[in-house]
Amino acid sequence: MNICSLVVHTQPEKGAIVSQRLEKFTGVEVHGGTDVGKLIVTIEDEGEEISPVSDTMNALRDVEGVVSTVLIYHYGGEESMEEMKREVN
Amino acid sequence: MKLTRREFIKSNAVAAAASVAGVTLPTITTAAAAEGDDGIRWDKAACRYCGTGCSVLMGVRDGKVVASQGDPDAPVNKGLQCIKGYFLPKILYGADRLTQPMLRKTNGKYDKNGKFEAVSWDEAFKTMAEKWVAARKAKGAKGVGMFGSGQWTVWEGYAAAKLMKAGFRSNSLDPNARHCMASAVGAFMRAFRIDEPMGCYDDLEHADVFVLWGANMAEMHPILWSRLTDTRLTKKGCEVHVLSTYEHRCFELADNPIIFKPQSDLAIANYIANYIIQTKSYNKDFIGKHVNFNKTTTDIGYGLRPEHPLQKAAKNPNKGKFNKIAFDEFAKLVSEYTVEKASKISGVSKKKLERLAKVYADPKKKVSSYWTMGMNQHTRGVWMNGLVYNIHLLMGKISEPGNSPFSLTGQPSACGTAREVGTFTHRLPADLVVKKDAHCKFAEKVWKLPAGTIPRHNGMSDKAAQSDISGKPMGKTLIHAVAMHRALKDRKMNCFWVMCNNNMQAAANMNEESLPGWRDPANFITVTDPYPTVSAQAADLVLPTSMWIEKEGAYGNAERRTQFWRQQVQGPGESRSDLWQLMEFAKYVKVEDVWPEDLIAKKPEYAGKTLYDVLFENGVVNKFPKQKVTDDRGNEYGNDEMDYFGYYVQKGLFEEYRLFNSVPGIPKKGHEMAEFEVYHKARGLRWPVIDGKETLWRFREGYDPHVEKGSEVQFYGAKDNKANIIFGPYEPAAEMPDKEYNLWLCTGRVLEHWHSGSMTRRVPELYRAVPDAVVFMSKKAAKKRKLRNGSMAKIISRRGEIVCRVDTKGRNKVPDDLVFIPWFDAGRLVNKLTLDATDPLSKETDYKKCAVKIVKA
Repeated sequence: MNICSLVVHTQPEKGAIVSQRLEKFTGVEVHGGTDVGKLIVTIEDEGEEISPVSDTMNALRDVEGVVSTVLIYHYGGEESMEEMKREVN
Repeated sequence: MKLTRREFIKSNAVAAAASVAGVTLPTITTAAAAEGDDGIRWDKAACRYCGTGCSVLMGVRDGKVVASQGDPDAPVNKGLQCIKGYFLPKILYGADRLTQPMLRKTNGKYDKNGKFEAVSWDEAFKTMAEKWVAARKAKGAKGVGMFGSGQWTVWEGYAAAKLMKAGFRSNSLDPNARHCMASAVGAFMRAFRIDEPMGCYDDLEHADVFVLWGANMAEMHPILWSRLTDTRLTKKGCEVHVLSTYEHRCFELADNPIIFKPQSDLAIANYIANYIIQTKSYNKDFIGKHVNFNKTTTDIGYGLRPEHPLQKAAKNPNKGKFNKIAFDEFAKLVSEYTVEKASKISGVSKKKLERLAKVYADPKKKVSSYWTMGMNQHTRGVWMNGLVYNIHLLMGKISEPGNSPFSLTGQPSACGTAREVGTFTHRLPADLVVKKDAHCKFAEKVWKLPAGTIPRHNGMSDKAAQSDISGKPMGKTLIHAVAMHRALKDRKMNCFWVMCNNNMQAAANMNEESLPGWRDPANFITVTDPYPTVSAQAADLVLPTSMWIEKEGAYGNAERRTQFWRQQVQGPGESRSDLWQLMEFAKYVKVEDVWPEDLIAKKPEYAGKTLYDVLFENGVVNKFPKQKVTDDRGNEYGNDEMDYFGYYVQKGLFEEYRLFNSVPGIPKKGHEMAEFEVYHKARGLRWPVIDGKETLWRFREGYDPHVEKGSEVQFYGAKDNKANIIFGPYEPAAEMPDKEYNLWLCTGRVLEHWHSGSMTRRVPELYRAVPDAVVFMSKKAAKKRKLRNGSMAKIISRRGEIVCRVDTKGRNKVPDDLVFIPWFDAGRLVNKLTLDATDPLSKETDYKKCAVKIVKA
């Protein structure tokens, strides 16, 4: 399982439209920062054997209106859904 | 409501990003998780990749790295990581990690042509020691050699230098930084008489103008690039000038994009100096007080074998001598480089050249220049680095916030280990050199060795020949990286140990100059690596290493910042750190095996001892007893070397190293460092560290405590406190395109793969994203050869050929007469094509220029 957070820089006036473009990618969520041009973005996978997260990260850099992307946090622990369920319950 | 585990992790991730960006998110209710909530232990480490030196927090659970985060307290990266950070934890866990020593054997015995078999460490080192002792006796100081790394930790480099120079009495030690930073070092020593940049990363916020000379910062130093981008987008009037031989990602931000013909940067830099003088813009006061003018010896060849026609044709091969001249003579020498001439040589429009010259010449604009391999991997790399210093020195734009000529590094500890510790053939710790008898004597005193132990460059101490175990005089002892492969091929060197790098893939002209020596039955090659690289496969003995945070370590980045980390996890299987290997191997060699009798007679107490006893159990390295390693929150960390050797190895080595740079009576001031424990608490400190305080700008009063009051500026590396402006002309490249080989070949890196790909190609996602090297060429050039995007092409040089796919649409846009191929791909070894021409002064290979032809495959 991989979960990443990123800060994606845009021109502030383009924050909303770029957010929409980013959220079209599978596993991508924008959590805020659109009004200041610093989008708080997460990318996650579903535990696939080869994770699509890095491809998505690369693709985000090429989205129209994106000035730069930086990684902040990455969780990459390997645990099965059963383990997770156990921990949660 | 209870969060699911996934939601919990996600909210931590979001909170971390929001905090770094300074964004308030009302919907986030969970603050960053307190440690322990999710069973993850967080601790800082310096990133394993480039020379930027970002600090990352590594999250460990159950002995495994499961998470990483940009370190919010780190001044370098302020909580950010580049995309490569995503793969940091994963480089430890590649499926083919080496876990056992392996020796080529047939019928239970070592055999050069045998198959790799797992052996014990004891068998590995016994076999190796036998070969090394025999080679050292038979062939003298150059009979054995070690090729180290700017990715070694500080103490690994220090232990290696000690083992080779003091133990084996051999200067056959060079790092892969020779391929990378040697030209930068050469120019620092010539201009300032002390190594490494005077400025620091803070210049990224202070400068008004940025000039990139042969550096693709957007891909190779992304975090520095993001700081530069911030300044460009937020500071009024800020400009970015980008010079390169092809268009890369940095051009997206370029206000003055400049594509120049390979090698013509020499003409452009001289033109700028000429412009400054013609317009009388130079800082008369500054050059009067702080600068000497010089010209260098010209027509110096291309660092090829002496019998090569280009070497024979040179009037002054390998000569680095420069002579003092008057300002007027300097002005006359550069006056030849008019804008017309520079434009003609470089192919750059006069308008663009003038725009560039003007920003340097404007006293009101603060200019920072950045460069990496484009300028260092250059047959006139030392000159070219110097020509940029000339410009900054003429204007006095140096050693103050925003005015900064800055040499970037490619490796995490090219500065901290390779350069500062002195793992080059000609160097000793803290900028001392084996050329100076006094420096060697100082090192011998610190290391408690008999006088005359360390081989001098010419084998002479106190004007007498140094005796040697070979029975012959020591003779000349210096041998650089490229010469090592040549010496193996010529059987002058018989044993070679490659650690922490992949030199079979990295060295130029591999078919003619690398592989023959490695696979010669007369030679015994050892490779220490975490993975079965091209080098490991070409070796006779492969030793598995515990890498990066599998050991306690320290790196020194490009801005003189020394950073420490604790051991976070355990290496796999029987892997042992490079440090352990260097020290343990020393137990297998006796003083009598490598030192002559008359030397031992000077220290009879060393008779019968091993190199390990003499070098490491010397009362200094083993001074600090075994202890618990803890952080300020009480977490405990392992230290495998301390457990094994029984004392705090890293601390002992570092404190002994400090006897070279931080105590009274040392030969060269200016490299002072803090005590060992301080670095475990700090987010790194930039040397010189005086009274616990780091130094941001060197040589300038008010910033650097070494500069005397009232003197404004002192380039105190030199006795007269002055820097050298050194004129060097444009001279052509070693091999240029002609009718048959009609394209320039430039090699380099891509964002996704770091260097030779030993680590990054082990990460499945990265491998899939950029599986193979491609040849970037222009559409027009492709069409002319009946090729298009995606077709397979054969690239042929005078030395070899490779096949790869054509890319005409990619991120690198090249001119019609140049192609670019990255070198990460072990399946397409671009160094079969390259020429082993080097800068004759720095001995650094020019990987950026040779001639090729391309046909349909």
